Parts: sequence; structure tokens; C-alpha cells
Amino acid sequence: MSLLKIEQLRKSFLAPEGDSLCVVDVENFTLNEAEFCGMRGESGSGKTTFLHLIAGILSPDRGQIQINGKNVSQMTDSSRDLLRARLIGYVFQSFNLLQGFTCLENLQLTMSFADHSNQSDPYELLDRVGLGKRINYYPHQLSIGQQQRVALARALINQPKLVLADEPTGNLDPVNAAKSMELLCELCRESKTTLFLVSHDEKVIQNFDRQENWEEVSKSNCVKGEV
Amino acid sequence: MSSIQALFALCTRGVRQYAFSSLVASLAIAMSGGLFLGTWKIKEGAQNAFTLSSSGFDAVLGARGSKLQLILNAIFHLEASPGNLEWEQYEIIKNTPGVKEAYPLAVGDNFMGYRLVGTEPSLFDEHEWKKGVKYQIEKGGRLFSSNAKEALVGNFVANKLGLKVGDRFQPYHGLTFREESKHDEVYVIVGILSATGTPADKVIWVPIKGIQFMEGHASEYSTSVSAVLVKLRGAAGFALEMKYNKQGNQATFAWPIAATLAEFFDRLTWFEKVLEWIAYLVGSVACLIILSVLRNSMNERKREFAILRSLGASRYFITNVVLGQSLLISLVGALGSFLVYLIMSGVASHFIRDQTGVLLDPFSFDLTFVYVFLVIVLLGLISGIPPAWMAYRVDISKNLRPSS
Repeated sequence: MSLLKIEQLRKSFLAPEGDSLCVVDVENFTLNEAEFCGMRGESGSGKTTFLHLIAGILSPDRGQIQINGKNVSQMTDSSRDLLRARLIGYVFQSFNLLQGFTCLENLQLTMSFADHSNQSDPYELLDRVGLGKRINYYPHQLSIGQQQRVALARALINQPKLVLADEPTGNLDPVNAAKSMELLCELCRESKTTLFLVSHDEKVIQNFDRQENWEEVSKSNCVKGEV
Repeated sequence: MSSIQALFALCTRGVRQYAFSSLVASLAIAMSGGLFLGTWKIKEGAQNAFTLSSSGFDAVLGARGSKLQLILNAIFHLEASPGNLEWEQYEIIKNTPGVKEAYPLAVGDNFMGYRLVGTEPSLFDEHEWKKGVKYQIEKGGRLFSSNAKEALVGNFVANKLGLKVGDRFQPYHGLTFREESKHDEVYVIVGILSATGTPADKVIWVPIKGIQFMEGHASEYSTSVSAVLVKLRGAAGFALEMKYNKQGNQATFAWPIAATLAEFFDRLTWFEKVLEWIAYLVGSVACLIILSVLRNSMNERKREFAILRSLGASRYFITNVVLGQSLLISLVGALGSFLVYLIMSGVASHFIRDQTGVLLDPFSFDLTFVYVFLVIVLLGLISGIPPAWMAYRVDISKNLRPSS
């Protein structure tokens, strides 16, 4: 059964020169429940924008995005916020941990937005990612690899149906990147969560059951550079 | 962690992150609120206390001159006496129908700067300085005799000078203390007046004859009084005012005391206005500081807010974080206002007590406190609206800095 269904999705931005640049132009795209999909694409080709559209962070110019049967494009702002909190876990390349809060607080804050009973225990989850003894550490007191593990735990704390990972290993060395990927896949597999990961690095997605190429998914290859 | 706890955690973190600027904003609010409360309450408190401190009298009869000077001299024991009245005048008003009580006063001497006031012992026996309350003498003491060189010391003076029953002292001539003007007479203290919180506490009471016949005083002192304190019965005040102030030219009948004092306080309105405007000015600066603190913090917190939004926080939640931060700053400021007020009013009431013997009660509850508290909090919230609007409009995608 499909968890994510995208049809006729299009997003353009206004370039500094005044031209309209089409960044995302996806005819059809689906993700099934518990599916692992890795998508490769050049840097600056619009992958992040695509993830932002799925998460409801950006609104499309046209098209439909359905998550768990709900049309994200037609939702109100606050419904999209709630959907993001409850159904979507997001892993960023730069982790985006809240610097003034401990590992535990980072997870607890995320839990407060979803506010539903079906949440993981933050202590158990931090223990699971190997940070059980560092729950009260602030992000700056952790190594890069440890910060990434907190970010993974945060993405999964609300037991989302879909995890969106945007270049999750982009800031890690090869050893930490491999460990981190292993952990992410393991956690998603255990909780039967759908994982959609985008990366410019082919090695990151080589073990995924389903592998896609952004240039083939999106017809608009009109933009190069940072988007 | 509930939503409220999350909100509180983010607000306090914002305040902590900009601790110094937040503290400055809170201090400015505290100064402004404290100044406003102090100006308002001390003036009101002083006016009430002075009006209530008329020691149970309705009017003062004295030499021709200013009513206010007469009242300040006879009731509050301040300023110089405008002149003397013949003893006969006292006898006349005492026996006037409509006059319930009349007590003569004579002043002109001091001890260590505290006035000696001569009067009849009946003032302490018969007069009620507050409805149903007569003067009390502390245990071990008694009232002075009208023909002896004895003194009853006001409570405040006794504490200040460490005087006790049995002590002896020699008065000094004049209302201000000058070492070279010591009289030869020796007075013995026979009693300490229990505290009343009125000007009676800050003088030394002696028999009127003591002042009239004090060695070195001019002979006409012996047949004159400085003023007469009057308690009226019914509406006799109108007739007496007509008799003394309109028809006569020998004496002034200061009546009613409360109205005369109100006129005096009205003269101080300009001072109150100046302080009020200073308070408004400081308050406006405080609001601008809050605005500036939050505005500056917004530039750095945009990314944090974008992360929170990406995790599912609503626009309203983010808006409330900024407003909550503003609320915390203004709450600390509002509480600080009361501290500033307490210090201000404590100093002011000590000073007023020292100078007049009138006791202020700055700690009594007043609805003004609630209004000022609410206004401060409201102003703080209003100052937080522009940065809160910025937070509401934070562009998540832009501030998350897409990197692929």
C-alpha cells in the first residue's frame, strides 16, 4: 500500500535575473509503506526542495502530495505542522540540533509537537543509538558522529511513518557515514518506517532495495547550482 | 515534556541567551514602574496620612496669618508660629457654644532640636486623637502636673534621644537647637507617650505655664498662647470662620483642616507631574529596549525557529515563544517595580516620619498595584509584537539552508 503518492508536482523559484526557474517537476512518484528508497542526484538539482515539498515546508505551484491518504497540498498550515510532527521524521545534512538543549531535551521538544501516545521512550532510544550515557550532553559537547545519532533518534522519536533523510552522511567521514547509515536503516526496519533518502553520493544508496535517479524522477533539469 | 513546558523552556533559553540585555530591559521597567508607583502612592499616602493626622481636631485658632502655616505649626509642629494670641482669646473660644473642646498651645523652646509644646494636661486625659482612642502613657510613667517642671516625651523623641522616665533636661530657647541658648530651668521626665504615628510623637509635652513663664521669655509670653486646638460640635465651623476670618482682624480660624491640607497638596501637583513624565519616559525606553533585545535575538534565532517548524512546531507556537520571552522580561520588571517602590517608599516614609512624625503605611494593599502590574505586563507584550510577527513569518525552507 502506498504511503506517499505524488502527482504532477511542480515548483519554481524566481531567479535573481527575474526568470522563473523550475526546480521540481515530478509527474508521478510513490513510496510504499516500510519501503526504503534512495535517490541520487547532483548537488543543487532540487532534491532538498522536493523533500521540503513532501514535508509541507514548502507549498507547490501545482500538483498533489498525498501522505497516508491525506492531501498535503490542500491542508491548512497548522494541519501540515501536525502532520509533520506526527507522520514525518526529518534528518538533515547539518543535523540541525537545537544547540541550547541537551540530547534528551532535543528529543523531548520534538515529542511535545506531536503530542500523541504512540511515541518512543527518549531514554531507550538514546540508549539504542549509543548515547545512553550522554543524554544530558549539549550538541557542542558531542562528536559529529554522535550529533548525527541524536538527529537520527530525534527523527524517529515520534514513531513517524516516513523518514526523509537529506544527505544524512554529508558531514561525516566514511567510517561514521557507514555506521550512521547502518543505524538509520536498522531503526527504520525495526519500526517498519518508510525511508526516503536523497544523496549525491552513490555509495550511500547502493544497499537500498529501490534506487532512483533524481534526473529521471524530475523532468526539470533546468537549474544548476544551489537551490 | 508538554507543549507548555516546551514553550517555557524555549522562552527561558531566549532570556538566558540574551541575559544582559534582558536584565537591562527588566531594570528599566523596574525603575519606571517603581518611580510611577512611588510618585503615586507616596503622594496619596502622605496626603491621607497628613489628613488623618489632624489628631482629632477640626480647627486651629491662631494669630492673624496663613491658615496653612497655623495648621503646620499647631498640628504638625513644623515651621514657625505666625504669632501669639491673648490668653483671653483662648477663654472666649473655649466657652463658645458649638466648641466641644479647646486646648491652648505654647511653643518657643526645644531640646536637642525637638520642640517643647506647652499645653493643658486635659489634652491627654480627655481628648480622643482618633475616634474612641485617647493618648496612652507607657507603663511606669504618668501625666505632668500643670504647675510642675515636668515633661511627657513623645515616643519618637524618646527613642531618638534615648530618654526615659526620671531623666532630667534643660530646654534651649527657640525652635532650632543652638547650644548657647540653654535655659536654666531643669525639667524632669515623668512619662513617655505611647506611639500614635501622629506628630504628637515627635515633641516634648510640658505644662503650658512652663513655656509661658520660662526664664528669659518676654513678659507678654505669660499671658499669651501660640495657638488653640479646637474640636467642634455640629456645624459651628461656619459661624466661627465668619466671626474670626471675615468680621474680625485679630485672629485666624483655620477650618476645616483637611481642606486646607488638600490645598497644600494641590500645590505639589507640578512635582508629581514631573515625576510621572519621567516614569513614562523611562517606561518608553524600557519598551524600546525589549523591542531591540527581541529584534536582535530574532536574527540569530531564525534558524532555531525554522528547525522547530520543521519538527512540527506551529507558527503560533513560535510566535508565543517570542511573546513569552517578552512576558518574562516584563514580569521580572514588574516584580522589580515593587522592589523599587518598597525601597523608595521605605526611604520616603522614614524621612516623613523623621520630619513630621506622621507614619505612612506604604505596604498596605492598593488596587493601583494590580493595575500597574497589568499595564507593565501588557506594555511588555506589546513591545514583543513586532519581533513575534517576524517569528511568525520565518521562512522555514530559507532558514534551513538547503544544501543539495
